[in-house]
Amino acid sequence: MSIRKLSRSMLVAVLLVFVGLSPVIADNYPSKPITLIIPLGAGGSHDLNARVFTSVIPSYLGQAVVVKLMPGAGGQTGTAAAIKAKPDGYTLIFTHNYIDQLQPLLEKLPYDTIKDLKSVCRINYGASSVVVRADKPWKTLDDMLAYGKKSPGKLIFTTSGNWGATMTPGARVLLEAGVDATYIPYKGGGPAMQAILAGDGDFMMSFPSQAGPLVEAGKIRALASAGNTRVFPDVPNLKELGYETGTMDRIVMAPKGVPEDRMKILRDAFAKLNTDKTYKKLMKRIGENIEYMDGPDYDKLRPVNQEAYRVLVKKISGQ
Amino acid sequence: MWDNFLQGVLLTLRWDTFGMMGLGLMLGMFVGALPGFTTIMAMAVLLPISFFMDPMVGIPFLIGVYKGGIYGGSIPAILVSMPGTGASVATTFDGPSLTKKGKSRKAMEMALFASVCGDLSSDILTILFIGPIAIMAMKIGPPELGAIILLSLIIISATTSGLFIKGLVMCFIGLFFSMIGQDPLGGMSRFTFGFFEIKSGIPLLPMLIGLFAIPEILQAVEKKITSFVAEEFNLKAGEKLTFKEFRRSIKTIIRSTAIGTSLGIIPGVGQVVSAFVGYAAAKNASKHPETYGKGELDGIAAAEAANNAVNGPTLVPLLTLGIPGDKITAILLGAFIAQGLRPGPQLFTEQGPLVFALLVAMLFANIIFLVLGYLTIPLFAKVVTIRKSALLPLTAIFAFAGSYVYRSDPFDLLVLVFFGVFGYAAKKLNFDVTPMVMGYILGPVLEYSFGQTINLGRGDTLHYIFAARPITAVILAITPFITAGLWWRSARLRNKHIKEPPS
Repeated sequence: MSIRKLSRSMLVAVLLVFVGLSPVIADNYPSKPITLIIPLGAGGSHDLNARVFTSVIPSYLGQAVVVKLMPGAGGQTGTAAAIKAKPDGYTLIFTHNYIDQLQPLLEKLPYDTIKDLKSVCRINYGASSVVVRADKPWKTLDDMLAYGKKSPGKLIFTTSGNWGATMTPGARVLLEAGVDATYIPYKGGGPAMQAILAGDGDFMMSFPSQAGPLVEAGKIRALASAGNTRVFPDVPNLKELGYETGTMDRIVMAPKGVPEDRMKILRDAFAKLNTDKTYKKLMKRIGENIEYMDGPDYDKLRPVNQEAYRVLVKKISGQ
Repeated sequence: MWDNFLQGVLLTLRWDTFGMMGLGLMLGMFVGALPGFTTIMAMAVLLPISFFMDPMVGIPFLIGVYKGGIYGGSIPAILVSMPGTGASVATTFDGPSLTKKGKSRKAMEMALFASVCGDLSSDILTILFIGPIAIMAMKIGPPELGAIILLSLIIISATTSGLFIKGLVMCFIGLFFSMIGQDPLGGMSRFTFGFFEIKSGIPLLPMLIGLFAIPEILQAVEKKITSFVAEEFNLKAGEKLTFKEFRRSIKTIIRSTAIGTSLGIIPGVGQVVSAFVGYAAAKNASKHPETYGKGELDGIAAAEAANNAVNGPTLVPLLTLGIPGDKITAILLGAFIAQGLRPGPQLFTEQGPLVFALLVAMLFANIIFLVLGYLTIPLFAKVVTIRKSALLPLTAIFAFAGSYVYRSDPFDLLVLVFFGVFGYAAKKLNFDVTPMVMGYILGPVLEYSFGQTINLGRGDTLHYIFAARPITAVILAITPFITAGLWWRSARLRNKHIKEPPS
């Protein structure tokens, strides 16, 4: 056997091994821990939600899911890292609709989230409420908007950061109502709430974990809430009042190109969470809903949302 | 309230509470001591464990990690000049010099005692004055914050080892570095030249390690000394702190505790600022300010007592309003919520005994920590007695590894090298890099509050400040006088130096 022949047969053998192995790898997926990138900082609601579901999901996936916090540039650092990762199903990202669907509209980015990421599922959504300090005269959302309309620029909208989860829904309401307000961004929901309580701001959008205790204590009043079901029993939804729902969707995504069978394994595992007792108990404790949505369904929603945001961004920043 | 308090004390007296708190303290200390790992990371990773524990076990466990981690961060700062966070930068002024004199154990013991004293007394003050602290915290909005930071930056620039003007120059360079990346208010990219890597700004940790640890390594190589601790002191590396030395610093510890407790009311920036202000105050009050920065135990006490005294008051907005002031309290909030406790105005009335139990647990954590910390110090002190030929490469490895593990981004290594060279050059030119670091850390906060104030004033900022913000107006009014005073003092010190050059 000549050397040439030998090397050729070795090559064939090697190729055969690879061909033979690949279905085996797929069958074994996941065979090592999965990394879950969170493009946001420690201690936020994404961090907390992820800590809950990653402590339950190993029983359905057979592998650990390791959280990797990659904050920076408003979520762009982590998103870029997830998109650059090898599409083998071992790197996922846990993000939200404003990073995914709105941010690419604000400036030129080296990626296109809608094309480069595919949804595994929507875990749940955060439904914030329009809140004002208890001594403000407005009893309903319409009262407040009427005041804003009457005195342009007077109404101060305190946000937790530009184009974030608590600014965008509020901006949408203000735009639809034709109110010209002063936007003041704060570094996160905590400082924003402090500004409301101190009277530096007129209203903000706040998530139930923060707003709940303050509403019960009578320090602030909720005028309207996002989401499909009411957050506070006697406070109407934005939807009921004729506005967009304005939720923050918490979504698990994978870079494009992950084999379909692996996507299915992931989607099935996350779907099973919804019947898990521990998961449901923990989610209830942290005050989050389990408004799950399957990946393919959510992928259909993304371009639709993006078009709506495009109009909003154009109107507000005048670009 | 007294009933609640007593019930709370009884709730804490449990073996598992104490055991897990001790475990948390040790874990926190070791993680905090590792360069590149932060207390916040440790807490975020350990948070889910607390979900499955009893509230009276899980939350003290996290509190343990938190307290242990903050002290742990001062260990590499003292030994190899590697501050893990902005809060331990002030500890690097005297720590490494003490280590070189063979007093690393003394330094670490002083840091431990000062930390525990500062923390304990601020916790007690917090429990006693939780109401007034909550009201005061509400008074600090963006304009006040901006004014306080402006004044702090001037004080920090003035207390550096060199000239005031040099300090200011470095401070401005730091402010400039902080502007690289996304602008905090509008979200626009600045000074990135289209590079995506620096869009999120320059990372703090590689910058700190580069500025403080790399020049130390280079200098040690330059001097060709064979041991990190000078030969003649080597045997004394294990010498303990004497009571006399501790007593000498009691005044400093009390002063720093007062400073830390009052600055702790300012959310987010308290720890960093208070360590510096505490240090500056001690230097000013001392009869021999020239020894500060050259291995003065009192300097360690000043910085460590101040940055730990912040811990108590930072919890107040969290407990009374459910508002986390910084990332650490945000993680604690997560732990509270997952346990079914919702921090807010009603937490005290609904869960009074439990809240007091947690506060009392914090007090006990300090005492346990005093014992655990004291027992482990000799272990850490041994590190610097390793031969230089082994210690220096090890430090270099830790510097690079620490910078990398922080975000697992190779770009951070470039940042480390850049600031390493920058720090070395600055040292050779007698520029102190501290004001730069502070400018860098506080720059975004200053910019944020400046922008917010402009927005709040709706075009007439000056009128707004003087009409609606009396505290800001007062701080801004005294700032020029303080600046002039510091300038004058710096000029006088310089003249003195020229007349009688230091031996």
